[in-house]
Amino acid sequence: MNPFQMTRRAFLSRSAGSLGGIALAHLLGPSLVSATEKPRGKAKAIISLFQHGGPSQMDLFDQKPELNKWAGKPYPGGNLEVHFDKQAGNVLEAPYKFGRHGQCGMELSELLPHTGSIADDITLIRSMNTESVDHESALRIIHTGRFLAGLPTMGSWVLYGLGSMNENLPAYVVLSDPGGLPVDGERNWSSGFLPAVYQGTPFRSGDSPVFNLKTPGKIPARARANQLEFIKHINQRHAALFPENTELTARISNFETAARMQTAVPEALDLSSESAATKKLYGLDNPVTEEYGRRCLVARRLVERGVRFVQLFLNGQPWDTHDKNAERLKGLCAKTDQPSAALVRDLKSRGLLDSTVVLWTGEFGRLPISQGKDGRDHNRHAFSLWVAGGGFKSGYVHGATDDFGYKSVSDVVNVHDFHATLLHTLGLDHRALTFPHEGRPSSLTDPDVTDAKIVPALLA
Amino acid sequence: MDAVVSLRRMQLALIIFGLGLLGRTTAIAVDHQKAAATHWSFQPLKTPLIPAEKAKSTLDRFVAHDLKVAHLSLSPEADRPTLIRRVAFVLTGLPPTIEEIDLFVSDRKAGAYERMVDRFLASPHYGERWAKIWLDAAGYADSNGYFNADTDRPLAWRYRDYVIRSFNRDKPFDQFVREQLAGDELSGWKPGQSATPEIIELLEATHFLRNGQDGSGESDGNPDEVRTDRYYALESEMQIIGSSLLGMTVQCAKCHDHKFEPITQKDYYAFQSFLYPAFNIEKWTKPQDRIVQANLPGELESWSSADKKLDDLQTELKRDFAAWVVMNRPAGKILFADKFDGTSLQGRWSNVAPGDNTPGGTPPVNLDSTQAPGAVIKNGQLQIVEGGGSGDRWISTTQSFHWKPAATGEWIQASFDLVKRKLEDKGKDAERVAYFIALHDFDHSSQVSGGNILLDGNPAGATSVQIEYPGPSAKSIGEFTAHYKPGQNFGVRVTRTGEDKFVLEHVVDGAVEGKAIELKGADLPDGGFGFEYCCGRSFIVDNVLIESSNSADPQWLKSNEAFQTNFATKRKSFEDASKAITAKRTPKPGRIAWMSDSDPIPPEVHLLKRGNHKTPGAIVEPAFPVFFKPDRETLKVEPGLTTSGRRLAWARWITETNSPQSGLLARVTVNRIWQNCFGTGLVSTPENLGLSGAKPAHPELLEWVASEFVRGDWKQKPLLKTILMSGTFRQRSLPTTEGMARDLSNRLLWRFPLQRLDAESIRDAMLAASGVLQSKTNGPYVPTTRTPEGEITVDESKPEAFARSIFLQHRRTQVPTFLANFDAPSIVFNCTRRAQTTMPLQSLSLLNSEFALKRAEDFAARLKRECGADDAKRIDRAFLLISGKHPEPADRNIAAQFLTDQRAAYADKPDADKYAWADFCQSLFAANHFLYLQ
Repeated sequence: MNPFQMTRRAFLSRSAGSLGGIALAHLLGPSLVSATEKPRGKAKAIISLFQHGGPSQMDLFDQKPELNKWAGKPYPGGNLEVHFDKQAGNVLEAPYKFGRHGQCGMELSELLPHTGSIADDITLIRSMNTESVDHESALRIIHTGRFLAGLPTMGSWVLYGLGSMNENLPAYVVLSDPGGLPVDGERNWSSGFLPAVYQGTPFRSGDSPVFNLKTPGKIPARARANQLEFIKHINQRHAALFPENTELTARISNFETAARMQTAVPEALDLSSESAATKKLYGLDNPVTEEYGRRCLVARRLVERGVRFVQLFLNGQPWDTHDKNAERLKGLCAKTDQPSAALVRDLKSRGLLDSTVVLWTGEFGRLPISQGKDGRDHNRHAFSLWVAGGGFKSGYVHGATDDFGYKSVSDVVNVHDFHATLLHTLGLDHRALTFPHEGRPSSLTDPDVTDAKIVPALLA
Repeated sequence: MDAVVSLRRMQLALIIFGLGLLGRTTAIAVDHQKAAATHWSFQPLKTPLIPAEKAKSTLDRFVAHDLKVAHLSLSPEADRPTLIRRVAFVLTGLPPTIEEIDLFVSDRKAGAYERMVDRFLASPHYGERWAKIWLDAAGYADSNGYFNADTDRPLAWRYRDYVIRSFNRDKPFDQFVREQLAGDELSGWKPGQSATPEIIELLEATHFLRNGQDGSGESDGNPDEVRTDRYYALESEMQIIGSSLLGMTVQCAKCHDHKFEPITQKDYYAFQSFLYPAFNIEKWTKPQDRIVQANLPGELESWSSADKKLDDLQTELKRDFAAWVVMNRPAGKILFADKFDGTSLQGRWSNVAPGDNTPGGTPPVNLDSTQAPGAVIKNGQLQIVEGGGSGDRWISTTQSFHWKPAATGEWIQASFDLVKRKLEDKGKDAERVAYFIALHDFDHSSQVSGGNILLDGNPAGATSVQIEYPGPSAKSIGEFTAHYKPGQNFGVRVTRTGEDKFVLEHVVDGAVEGKAIELKGADLPDGGFGFEYCCGRSFIVDNVLIESSNSADPQWLKSNEAFQTNFATKRKSFEDASKAITAKRTPKPGRIAWMSDSDPIPPEVHLLKRGNHKTPGAIVEPAFPVFFKPDRETLKVEPGLTTSGRRLAWARWITETNSPQSGLLARVTVNRIWQNCFGTGLVSTPENLGLSGAKPAHPELLEWVASEFVRGDWKQKPLLKTILMSGTFRQRSLPTTEGMARDLSNRLLWRFPLQRLDAESIRDAMLAASGVLQSKTNGPYVPTTRTPEGEITVDESKPEAFARSIFLQHRRTQVPTFLANFDAPSIVFNCTRRAQTTMPLQSLSLLNSEFALKRAEDFAARLKRECGADDAKRIDRAFLLISGKHPEPADRNIAAQFLTDQRAAYADKPDADKYAWADFCQSLFAANHFLYLQ
């Protein structure tokens, strides 16, 4: 049987709704779960706090005393892969102090006191690496597993594998920065060659968070109700000719779903029912943290309502600290540290952390040497990320880099391994979650090419 | 002679390659080679035996035979309105017009259906529909992709038009393929020669090779990254050729032998070596520079002379306007005037600003010298000779002025004529024409702050205004918007508006333009007027004039007021006339975005270990994959080419008569054609007919159709006619009990499959039904835009906004939201088949999008225009326009009832009827009668 047809029928037959996705798992059935890697699948949803630009691991997560010893001197460790190769300088000091946090004693920079407060709830991976030192391609690798633009993102794959839990809300929601789009724009949530039904839906601020969600003002409620009734009536007469065709019935019910979404979406975005304590936790009382905190809180509300994948983005690529590295990190941490940690704490206190993965990462790391006077250039050989909940270990530090933080050297996790592990926590087998494309079964991890493997040490 | 040598070399390489392959190929690859030896699609075409079944056509006999085996039969023929709608959408992507429907339905003579099919095959819209199908397969886009910028491909449309023309003329497909792979080599044309229409067509065709994503125009990383970016353009094109022509996933063999197909890694690089001379990584041309000028004899000359005439008109217009200003503007009190009629600048101009100790900049400007940086009088004008280098410098008037007028309402202004933005005709235009007022201090030695106000005159964008420039205290205080184009007079005016309030205004051709910038007294110390030297920007000015208001003189006040009034009128007519001239201009003809070899001598091509260009392996010679049994092929490189001839050799090979590879090409092509008639191909994986592809439904039929296609000289129109004339195509789409029981998925085609229209057909049909479809047939794309909310739309206030979707900008990152919702792809490599989804976003866009709402209003207006106020007539026509059929009585009643209800719902509005009809029309766009082809 042609798998494409099967897939197509699958979402047609089930598309009684959902802006985002339709469950396919039941049709793909046992093939999603392979015999060798039996997923546990505690997680039901993912919140990705994406940090565009490449946060500096050695200034935030991965203390390297050697940097300060060698500061201002030529890098002693041999050749470095440098993106802007004409601006390479000497070793750049990491000025911020590190301290131990939680019972696990996780070492973190003084810029991340709130992350420190959730140290016992997170897994910190210090030994990540990726395959490109160019922003766009590195973004695509971490979002889609592949170098080139236009492929399905992780959120689309998750949705394709798991479907929606609330058909009145998009199942893959993007909360992008009111200040503007991140670098690489909408491609960060594209469904690529997966059907458009699996693409991320950006929620904008304002009274029409989704394109075309709002009934135009000139159409009164009664007129719209009449119209929906009329459409239903003539479409039912048409569908009667093809009683076997589930696509036609799905199309009829989609008009009703669309109408329900008109109330469900604004309700999810309305924070008025949240307590003052919750708002304070997320930093809504502080102009520095308010905007990011608001989106973190909305992310929790969406997950509570059954949204599968929520992703927060920042305007542009603020962590891309090619100059004034230390100074910029201070501002960025002030904005994101408290709300990010608040999200983990809030989910935990509501009993949602077991079923929700919170992921904090950028697309790559930075170099131990300076770029120009006080910046750091891109580094694909090492970066740090943290992940919480959903079956990941808590209070755990994984892997290590060399003495200068240039290269991951022990327990190295590449992006594909991380993807495989992440899917695993959702009960999805990365080898089986495939879609026919370009004449072959395509997947997020493409294990035949990348040799992606689950990292068991990360799992509780 | 050369050709013979390289032919020998290639043959030799082929033998070595064959041996080498056996020596090192893995067991899996050997198995694939064995399987390939008998795989159906890798064999030369065989004409199958025609089944004995009785049926309308030969094609039907194959279908009927397979159906009979499954105890099924073809369904009866659909009714005429259904048939014409089906034929119209399949052949043209547009709904039939009412006239076309009437003509067919009322044609009672024998052969009516065939005549109707012939009419649509002859329609120019045929080429638009089938071009779009090929353009998707060929990976066409109007942008480069790859990087965030997704930069424009401003000339790609010429390839799109070439494809449309090729389909409309029914160019044999094998020729079409050869042209796209090697049009430059086929043409025998060399840059600089004059061209014929045929040659131009061949050069345009090579844009096929540029369709892949290509970020090499913007690469900014280290040398390895730059090479990676270039390889991507080459590899993307290989992948496009693989899936669109060969129906194979060649890209999998980039790093290792293909896991599922008989393509070895060596095959991959041997194939790459055919394209490499055009994509030579070491002699790379960026996409924006891969432009060639090819003109018909005399074409450029007649364009140049027409363009020159427009230039002259424009110059004359400007001169008249400027002369009028000079004649009529009452001069203020002249504080300083220089017409540069003398021979020396000494005394009036200096490289030291008044009040400053040292010259402005190092080295300082040489007065009365052409040695850069220099300032010299030539032809009665002042030449600013800027020689590049770093740092700012200036020349200034030696005279200092009071830039703070004493009383409210009084002003002081500085102005000059901008003559030219370069010194010599060949030179580069200056990107800025910058000047200063209140100039007094270069090196921050002065006790007085403020001043040094720089006006960074910009011909292309906004003019930034900086204070205390240059130096660390420099800051921007605002912008002016007028563009600094030669032939106009520019300047600034400072007016006192209050106690310590001043405004700085832009003065163009003597009159204030745009918004004012507010200043304080401290910003305006006494100082000179001067021109800035920076960044290799030379220019020529004349008539520097510093003057102040003369409001003490009532006569002056009066004539100034009169001037300002007349000026507004005069400028309006000047601008209108300018616009009219601009509208007459046409872009320089003959620019083609093409592809050709960078060098006639083929460079060495290496196999890349693990696909990585940092680990090159053995040198690879061009050779065809072993599983096509190329030992029976002769590799021909044609003599006398200025290129390597490799692409042409490959193009001739892939289209060689009776070969296994041309058999594969024919099968891939007819499968794509079939897919676009029936929704699904006979092979459901059109991009993969290899070992791992889907098995064909009706294998014998596919073989027969492909053979017919090749026998018919690879022409698509006769093939489509064969398909459309068949009983298989003309069947009803309604379900039957037997069909549902025995072949639920309709793989055997016991009925015509119900299909949702594709995205472009939906949009185009909405434009057609609402009567606003424009008849654009070629030319530059219609731009799409991103609204502030991020929705991608077409600005309806722009011309050609209602053109067919194929003419819209195909920017990879900017697929119109309406089309994307209905599964229009964003092109990564290419798209050989589309998803067909059903989702609430589609319902929302049909209910609430501006596009749907506006078309509904247009549709309602059209009904009223054509049917008057008669409800029944309007309802009938509406159904006919959206479904090709008159409504059934029940539909009529439902519609009439809805209109009644809707008028009541809008009862409080004066134009309730209009609203009701718009809602009715919009609802019909959301009706499945419209969205589906049955």
